[in-house]
Amino acid sequence: MSAIRLLIVDDETRLVETLSKRLAARGLEVEGASSAREALDLIEARPFDVVLLDVRMPGMDGIEALREIKRLRPLVQVVMLSGNASVNAAVEGMRLGAAEFLLKPLDLETVLARVEEAYEKKRLEEEKVRSDR
Amino acid sequence: MKRFAELDSEAFCRSAARRIFALQLLFVALVALLFAAAWAGGERVWLWSLAGFLALLSVQAVTISWLMVGVRKKLLSLEGERDAFYQELLRLSAFSSLGEISSSIAHDLNNPLAIMNEEVGWIQDLLQGQDPSGPHALSEYANSAVQIRLQIQRSAEITRRILSWSREGEENRQLVDLNVLLNKTLVLLESDLSSARISVTKELDPRLPPVSGNLPELRQVFLHLTKNALDAMKDRGGVLTIATESRGDLVRASIRDTGPGIPKDLAKSIFSPFFTTKPAGEGTGVGLSISAWIVKRLGGKIEVESEPGAGSSFHVLLPASPAPPQEENPR
Repeated sequence: MSAIRLLIVDDETRLVETLSKRLAARGLEVEGASSAREALDLIEARPFDVVLLDVRMPGMDGIEALREIKRLRPLVQVVMLSGNASVNAAVEGMRLGAAEFLLKPLDLETVLARVEEAYEKKRLEEEKVRSDR
Repeated sequence: MKRFAELDSEAFCRSAARRIFALQLLFVALVALLFAAAWAGGERVWLWSLAGFLALLSVQAVTISWLMVGVRKKLLSLEGERDAFYQELLRLSAFSSLGEISSSIAHDLNNPLAIMNEEVGWIQDLLQGQDPSGPHALSEYANSAVQIRLQIQRSAEITRRILSWSREGEENRQLVDLNVLLNKTLVLLESDLSSARISVTKELDPRLPPVSGNLPELRQVFLHLTKNALDAMKDRGGVLTIATESRGDLVRASIRDTGPGIPKDLAKSIFSPFFTTKPAGEGTGVGLSISAWIVKRLGGKIEVESEPGAGSSFHVLLPASPAPPQEENPR
């Protein structure tokens, strides 16, 4: 099985850095972006399986970014990250097709489990798309 | 633009009572004069009866003014009750405004916490790794330690902000620079502002005289008004304008939004306690009424301009305080 290609998007650059190191050490292929704009450019340029996306960012926020990602790459799975348990944002995220919603500070085991589930979901959806053809 | 002003019924009644009372005094004096004239004029009966008639009238008038004094007393005691009511409301709303900023605080604090969490996790990863005391691991530990200290400082900054919010200058009146206060309010709502679609314009008068007031109370006023403006633009975004201006003896601070504006039929109710258009759990409807009361007690008023579809402006007008004696520049 090839490595899961993960993109981490958060305006807290140090969080992106360290989380990337830790997840890379666990066998994932990780890229980081510090803004929604940068993330969208990366997503357009190369394939990703799962995106960890912060809700609250200056400029374009996570919800808007989610909408864009789903428009560009409907199959890419998005796990939303948030610093506060805003029910509205979670509901809005789910409605727009986010796979999961995680609260900061993150528990790495949970992150790994959710990312793997999201990857599995993407694989199944891809297979379904292929068999539909 | 339509302008809504608050009718001050108590002040009106009081001045009316005062005026009627003064008229009655004049009346009584006139009657006394007539009596004196009739006495001096001898046996002119018509003068006596006129005087009697007027005396009767003045008795009535005195009764009326006596009643008015009663009404005034009642009004004063009602005003006292209202003040007590608002004091209590103010105390309670200090909690609710803390509630309003708490989601902002939670977000602000969870970010440094999340980073420290990853740093500690990374250190543990390395410790469990193949070469926990190698040069690479050692430099990573040092790096993480620096980062953790940085995030602790950042967290301390946030908690200091909360403490200063709840404690600073609790009781006394002091000179308040509204420019500073408005900037601080924006900092407090930083994470609400940074989440997209709302841009801020500042038009602050650098030569604004200070106002005299209780700082935490004034802070509540501007937090409420700014929060309201942000809420008004929550769905579609917009421009938040913060402006201050010196107007003769008054200082005017304005909070403008480009939200949907206030519907005409609701305009009269916005200053009533517990009036809110927000869903239950999101607003208590006390913010504006308390703000109006706080400002009124300082001898000012809040004016509202609103055009449905074109946003609202809330102007806080407060008497300017004479600037404190200029300190000599030490250098």
